[in-house]
Parts: sequence; structure tokens; C-alpha cells
Amino acid sequence: MDISGLKEKIKSEISRIANADDAKQVKVSILGRKGIVAEYLDKLKTLDKDQRRDAGKAINEIKSWADGRLGELEKQFGEIERRKREAASRIDITMPGTVPLFGRKHPITITLEEIIRIFSSLGFAVEEGPDIESEHYNFEALNIPSDHPARDMQDTFYINPGIVLRTHTSPVQIRTMEAKLPPVKIIAPGSVYRCDNDISHTPMFHQVEGLMVDKSVRFSDLKGILTIFIHEMFGPDTPLRFRPSYFPFTEPSAEVDIGCVICRGEGCRVCKDTGWLEILGSGMVHPQVFRNVGYDQEEITGFAFGMGVERIAMIKFGIDDIRQFYYNDVRFLAQF
Amino acid sequence: MKIPIEWLNEFVVIDIDIDDLAKRLTMRGLEVEGVERFTPRFTGVVAATITKIAPHPDADSLSVCSVNTGKEDLTIVCGAPNISVNDRVPLAMVGAALDKDFVVGKRAVRGIESYGMLCSEKELGISDDHSGIFILPEEISTGTVIAESPIAYDTVIDISVPPNRGDCLSVFGIAREVASILRQRAKLPIFTLDAASDQKIEDQVGLTIQDTGACPRYILKLIKGISIGQSPFWIRRRITRCGMRPINNIVDVTNYVMLELGQPLHAFDYERLSESRIDVRVAREPSTFTTLDSVDRQLEPGDILICDGSGPVAIAGIMGGENSEITASTTNMALESAYFNPFSIRATARRLGIRSEASLRFEKGIDIDNVGYAADRAMFLMHQLGGGTVINGQREIFEKREPRTIYITYSNINGLLGTHISHEAMTRALRSIELHVMKENENGFTITIPNFRHDISEAADVIEEISRVHGFEHIPDTSPVAVLKPQKLTNKDRSLNIVREYCLGTGFFEIINFSFFSTKDIELFRIPENDERSRYVPIMNPISRDWGVMRTMMMPAILKCIAYNLNRGSKNLRFFEKGKVFFQGKPHDIREETILCFALTGREKEYFWKEKYPDYDYFDIKGIVEGLMEQLGANCEFSPTAEPFLDQRCSADIKIDGVKAGWIGSIRDDILKVYEIEQTIYCAELRFDIILQKGNLTLQYKPIPRFPQATRDFSFFVDDAVPISAVVQKIKDISPLIVSVGIFDMFRKEMRSVSIRVVFQSFEETLTDERVNSLQEKIIEEMTNIDGISLRV
Ligand SMILES: [Zn+2]
Repeated sequence: MDISGLKEKIKSEISRIANADDAKQVKVSILGRKGIVAEYLDKLKTLDKDQRRDAGKAINEIKSWADGRLGELEKQFGEIERRKREAASRIDITMPGTVPLFGRKHPITITLEEIIRIFSSLGFAVEEGPDIESEHYNFEALNIPSDHPARDMQDTFYINPGIVLRTHTSPVQIRTMEAKLPPVKIIAPGSVYRCDNDISHTPMFHQVEGLMVDKSVRFSDLKGILTIFIHEMFGPDTPLRFRPSYFPFTEPSAEVDIGCVICRGEGCRVCKDTGWLEILGSGMVHPQVFRNVGYDQEEITGFAFGMGVERIAMIKFGIDDIRQFYYNDVRFLAQF
Repeated sequence: MKIPIEWLNEFVVIDIDIDDLAKRLTMRGLEVEGVERFTPRFTGVVAATITKIAPHPDADSLSVCSVNTGKEDLTIVCGAPNISVNDRVPLAMVGAALDKDFVVGKRAVRGIESYGMLCSEKELGISDDHSGIFILPEEISTGTVIAESPIAYDTVIDISVPPNRGDCLSVFGIAREVASILRQRAKLPIFTLDAASDQKIEDQVGLTIQDTGACPRYILKLIKGISIGQSPFWIRRRITRCGMRPINNIVDVTNYVMLELGQPLHAFDYERLSESRIDVRVAREPSTFTTLDSVDRQLEPGDILICDGSGPVAIAGIMGGENSEITASTTNMALESAYFNPFSIRATARRLGIRSEASLRFEKGIDIDNVGYAADRAMFLMHQLGGGTVINGQREIFEKREPRTIYITYSNINGLLGTHISHEAMTRALRSIELHVMKENENGFTITIPNFRHDISEAADVIEEISRVHGFEHIPDTSPVAVLKPQKLTNKDRSLNIVREYCLGTGFFEIINFSFFSTKDIELFRIPENDERSRYVPIMNPISRDWGVMRTMMMPAILKCIAYNLNRGSKNLRFFEKGKVFFQGKPHDIREETILCFALTGREKEYFWKEKYPDYDYFDIKGIVEGLMEQLGANCEFSPTAEPFLDQRCSADIKIDGVKAGWIGSIRDDILKVYEIEQTIYCAELRFDIILQKGNLTLQYKPIPRFPQATRDFSFFVDDAVPISAVVQKIKDISPLIVSVGIFDMFRKEMRSVSIRVVFQSFEETLTDERVNSLQEKIIEEMTNIDGISLRV
């Protein structure tokens, strides 16, 4: 029996494999039930015992070699075919994807939410009040009597004598203190109104008021809290300063400025060459305000602050015309 | 308030850089809004003395002047009328540049060579005066190069004085603060008033005050034989720099002293004062009065009037009368220096709509203790400027007031500020702004408040002064000592968060509109009179008619906003707005309500290469509302609507438990036409407060069924009169084992055919075919029993 002939035969069969189909066919012709190997194994019957064992071993070695080789070729050609198939139906992976619809928050909302987030994290609760207010809450209770010069500072929309569109969110201070005893620690976001309409004023805008009243709230606490706020809002390296100012419902009063974000303090048109931008008003609650709500001003102290949301958004996002917020142009809204 | 530095320098020594001074004033609460520097823009101008003036032989209006520059004599042809021999005038010599583009050359004027030109103040950029040649002040000697002399330079700081600091509305007032900053003391000018001792004022003029509450101090002084003319350069320049206009020496002095000391003054023509007397009265009844601007003013009871023997000659502190004003022929003048009740002046000024520099200062309160000094100062200057004879003494009524005192403890100060300022430092700080310690003990001190500080009335005001002088920058930043309390999140907060997230996730752009709209919008939307949305809240003083009333609906503004974007080429819009609407109930009963608004127009995307997006339709907006309601735990129903502004074919009322919670649909095209909108708008307005009330935000786990579910599909012909929502509900009601009823197909072929998929599910067992089949039979039976429904086979 010519075992060496078997290997030659198998080799020549394998050598004609040119693709995956050939590989399958050749595998059958070699290893199949009627294949070459089977043919040889059949012949073993004709040999005697010793010869049979040696030949059998040899045939099985060849068989296992052929099996391995055929497997390799099958894989190899299979991969080639797969590549060919994929190449034939390839897509242009650079075509635009199906972007899901996604909404946008108005930049005023984004800014408001950020302000609320910061003060909430510092333990301030959110309170609200009506847009249409009595003069009492909007002015008198805040120590702004009708003949007070401070009423010049605000051009008020009147609904009827005694009823106004609130000119600030400060009435919420009064409403809150009337409704509960100290300690009070609130912020009050909302719309406010003033008779103005130009590049830097809209008749409606947004403010956030803050109030903290307790047994020993200090001016230094006001500085501490507002410094944290500004560093959270505008970044930890933002320079800021507290400078004396005047509000009828606080004493002492402080205006808070941040270093101009446009010129970095060098002086530019936006900061009127001062290098500073006014960002919020604040101060220690005026004793008269405490008397007005029936708090004992000997026992408690507090601070209050108020800021314009649009102004902060304008500084944060570099918007130069406040009216942009109210045109609601999608090309504007899409940027936030 | 504009403050020229050279003027300020008369009261304090400014020994620091002006920018530094500006910063320190700002940090004192006197915000410097600008520093304006005046520098010469000209060259080649020298001071020359006029030695001869001769008429021009060929031109009546011109003269030929000989001038001496100290080095040479030159001939100048000049047309100005105000020059005379020995005047020193600015001469722009040949080659001088008065401006970037204007260089003076030698030229012949009507046949006579002119070697340069004489300049007006305006030509030198020193003031706006172009009425004649600038006659140089005495201190400028012949030959001085004008561009190098001090008159060509000036720095003016513009201070925004807080409304409560009337005491800072003068150069001296600012000087007091500057002195405190520079650790100096502001000094008032010292002068000697030269008065004629042979005449007594008591014989010349009478004075009475009816109510010293309205006018606690009034001084009258007299000057006779004064000549009216132009003020000298230095006065005119200071007045101009402060933003006022020079008029004549008398008016200028009253303004000058007001700017210098903060005391408004008024000058009367003495000869025109009937009975030579002044009576300060408070009007009892209405009358009319002609002020010096020839306007008839309505006087009302309570106005303070300055009267002579026959009636009013001035509205106190606001404006003088035509009948007593200074004229070019005035020679004898009576000067008023007074303190009027600030509230009364304010009320009158406000009613009459007059806000003058004088009334502004009276309103804020002036220094009652300085009324006399200011009167003397003005008399001194008038005499200096206009000559004449100052009559000795004055008529005066003065109800003196004691300065207020305030006691305050040290611990109160440091406690409120969070500081550790020593008593000595506090005393020093207060003394620097003329608040003096009267008494002290180990716990605190009593402070005397000078009468010029109308803003200080209690301890907190004193603390503010200490903190201001001490410097806010020297107060530490601390963390409040407070009890920690968790922040409660209300249902409203949670619902609003859900709404915001929902809108963001579903592709809406949030917009914000003003809370105003117009009654025209209500008409346009055809809102009937008995509808609450017709009960708007009007604004008394609106910006415009378009924003004349508080909105009762949000959609009109949103339509405007859509039109705005469509006009700018954005055709596919998804807008969301959360806002308030306002309703007028009974008088003084105004209701505010929160509304959520959605609007869709166009389609999801203009184009996409894979597929074409369909245009939005009613079911898009309905789906938005259904999805949101599900998120908020509210079960809503849709029923036909009577909203007059909606297209009846595809619009609905939204109800929760039978209560109307809003509407949904497309806006009538005749309304859209008014906005020039040509594409369909699908929108919804939801009453947030009602949804909040009805919704349920409780999250509760229900076990997931362990048994398989079974599905059956049905097809029915359903008449248009039967709403599908009723069909779905009917099927659901058949058995608790029916867990889902969905519409998976609908088409029309003579009748409406609807395909429904029903899912059956038990939580106890696997449903047998028999069980499901019997339910299926039941569904078919119940459905076909309904009029207008038949099984499609
Ligand atoms: Zn800047």
C-alpha cells in the first residue's frame, strides 16, 4: 500500500483550491465518506494486523494534517469572500446622521436655573410672588414712601392708583417675612417691569432677589455668600469688589462689581473704561423694613440682594443687546 | 455731578493721581462715571496785547488792529465787536494750527494784509462761546503760549451722586468727602464782604414767614447800583464745565454759588418788588402764576410762594416770576438764600413737571446752617463782578434746629458688620466726615449729626458711614452661622422640572415673551365679551398700544414670534413658553395663572437625504400634550371645542376630570393672515395650575407579570360619529385582563375602517386560548352592538 501516494494526492487536491466553494468541495473529496482518505482506510482491511496498525497510524496523521490545512484555507477564503460582499454593499459613512430632535432652554432660563442652583446649594429656598403688586409691597413696606427720591429711580407701570407691575422682586421679601418668623433664607426669581425700551432696557425683565434673616447675620456674611455666588457663576478667578451704594431698603448698601469680562479690567466700552461691571445690588436689611413687617430689629439682622438675570446672561454669553432675549429668533435661541 | 478738579483744589489739596482719586471716591459710594480731560488741540497761539484799533477803510464791520506779542508788532484784521485797546487776546499767528485741518496763513482781507487771527473761546475749544474774541484773564501775560498755560487744561470728574446724598451736590460737598479720603479738612473760601454801613437793610426791605415749617430759614440781602454784564472767564468756565450755561454776572453768580456750596439762590429786581417786601406764604387756594419762562403755572394749596406786597413773585425753590426777574436794566437787586421744606418742594416740582438744578437740591435737603454763608458769598462775588453798593446786614428769619444725636454701641457696629474695628478707629472715621462724638461710655458713643446730612437718622445709618470710611474691602468675607435645613421640593417645582425636561427632550425651543398684549389681540382672536379672557387688566401708562394690557392669552405673542421667524427664513418651528396670564376679577381682584404653551409649524426637518419628513399635523401636537399629561400623571380627554379662534376641523378642548385644562388645535387661517403667516400652526395652551391640581406624581412600582401575554387584532368599520377614544375605552372596560388597546391602522373606503390590537394579560396564570377566544367574542359582540360599528371580515 502506497501511503506516500496518499499525501501527494491530497496535496495536489488542495493546491487547486481558489475560493471558499473550492475549499468546501475539496474537503468533501478528501475527508468525505467517499473521499480519498476513506478510500485508503478501506484498503486497510486487506493488510495484516501489524501492517494495518502502522498504515492506519500514518493515514490518520495525514488525515489530521489535511483537516487542519483545509480549515485554515476555508477561514482564509471565507474572510476574503466576506470582505468582497461587504465592499459591494458599503455605505458612505460620512453622510449626515439622523440627529434626534433636541430642544433648547431660553438663555434667561439657563441663567435663572444656574442662579437658583447655586443658592439652593447654599440652603436658600425658592419663593415667588405676584407680578401685579400693591404699591405697599412694592414701595412703602420697602421704605420707599411716595415722596421718596428713590421712586425717581424707577419708572413704574401703574394698573391703577395703588396697584403696579412690580418694579423689582423685592416685594417677595416683605411677603415672606410677613408670612413667617425668622430664620428666613430665600431667593425669589421672577419677572419685573419698568417703563423703558431701548438697547439696554426692556419693559419686562427678570430678577432674583435674596434674603437671609436670622439672629446674627453680618455684613461680612453677605460678602462671603455673594463672593461664593460670583465665583460659582463667573469662575473662581473672577475679581470682584463691594462698593458703597444706596438702596432705600438696605443700610449699609453695597453694589457688587466684577472685573470686566470683555477687557479683563483694562477698560473698554462695555465697562465704560472702569474695568468693572455692576452685577448686583445688596445690603443689610434696613431696620425700617423689619419694623414694617413686625420683626424685632433689636433681635435680628439680615441681608438682602437682588440681581438682573438678563444682565448676568449678557455678561456670561457676551450678548450686547438686551432686546435679543425677547425677539426669540431661533438663530439666537439655537446658540444656547 | 461734574466736578472740575481745579475748582475742587480750592478746598482740598489733591495730592494724588486723578484716576486714583476717582477709584477711591467710587469705593466711598460716590461712583465716578467718567474722567474727562481737556487738553489743547491747537498750536501757535500766543497772548497778544491790542495796542491800536482802527476802522477798516473798505469794510464797516471790520477793524484793523495792531497787536503786540511781546516780541513783535503785527497787523490783524478782525470782525469781532468786543475788543478794545489794552485787551489781551489769543492770537493765532501765521502757521498756527487751530484744528487738524485748519492752519492760519497770512492773507489779505479787503486789501489789508492780516498776519494771523484773533480767536474766540470756541475756536480754542475752551467753551462754546463764539460771540466775540476771548479776552484773556489778567494772569495770562503778553507773550504766553496759550497751549502751555493752565487755562488750556482741565480735568472734570463726573460723579453719580446717590439720591440720598444731597450734600454731595456741590463742589464743596465733594471736597468734604475728598478731604476725608486724603485725611485733610475741606476749607471754605475766606473773604470780606465790603458793605455800605450808612444804609440799614431794615429800612429797605421787609420779610415775613407765614409757616416756618415750610420755610425755616430765609435771608434777603440787597445790592444797589450793580451793572449787569458778562462774567469773567474763570466763572464762565467753571459753570460750563459743570454743565450749565453762563448768562450774565448776576445769574452766573447764583449758579456758581449753588454749584460751589449746594445752596440755590434767587435774585429779584428790587425795584419791581411791590411795597419792597417779601412774604413767604403757603398757598391756600388755586391760582395761576407766570414764571420767568413766560409759562402760566397752576398753583395749588400747599405750594410755597414767595410774595411781594401785591402777590406771588416766585414759586419757592422752583422758579421765579416774570414780574420780578432780573433784566438788562436792573441796577438794584435783592438776593434770596433760603431753606424750604424738601417734601413740599418735591410735591410742587413734581406736579408742575419742573426739575431744575435748584429744586433738585431743595428736594434732597440742603445745609440749613450754610444759608447765610452762601448769601454772603454770592454778595461778595456780585459786588466783585458788577460793582455797586452792598447794603449792610440782612433780613433773616431762622428757626434754628439742634443737630440730631444718635447713640450706638460698639458691639452693634462690629456685630452688624462682622468686624473688629476699634473705638478709636470708629471715632476717627466719623470725625473725618464731620460726624463728631458728643459723649461716650465703655459700651458706645453718642454722635452728633450735622444738619447737612439728611440721610442719617438712626444707628444703621451711622454704621454705614463707618463701614464706608473704613472701606468695604477691609470687611472680611465670612460664612453665616445658620441652622441647616433641607430644601423642600414642592409638587409645583417637580412638575415644572418634568415640563422643562419633557420640552427639552421633545425638541422644543423655549421662548419668553412680554406679559403684555393688546385689546386688538383679544378682538382678533374673537374672544367673546363674557369670556374671562376678555376681562383683561389694563395698564395706565403703557409703553405702546400694542402692549397696552396684561395678556390673558399667550398665543397672540407666540404667533408674532412665529411670524418674525418665518420672515427670517426659519420655516420649521417648535416653540414652548411657560408664562403668566392675568385676569381682572372684581375691582382690585386680579388673578394670575400659569400657562404652558406649545406651537408647531412646518415639519421636523426641512429635508433629509434618507426620507422626507411629513408636515406637522393635529396628531403631532396632540401627541405632545398626551405625552406631557402622562408624565405629569394627569388623565386628559379631548372633546370638541368652541374656541372661536381655532379651525373646527382639527381642534379640541382638553379636559381633566371634566374640568377644562386647555385647548389644542390649529389657528384659523383668517387670523394667521393678519400675521401674514401662510403655513398652518398647530398649538396648545395648557392651564398648568389645573394640571398640577389633578396630576399625580407619585411613583409606585407594580410587579412585572410573570405570565405570557396574548394578542388579538380586530378590524371594524366605525362611523365618523363614534369617537375612537370611546371605542378604546369601551374595550378596556370589558375585562381587567385587557391591558392595552391600540390603533394600528386606519383607512377610509366609503366607511372608516379601524384596526385595533388588544393585549390580554393575567397576573395569576397563563391565559388559555379558550379564555382569550371568549374575550375576543365578547369584544366583537359588544362592539357590534354599538350603532355605527360593524365587524370588517
Ligand atoms: Zn471692559
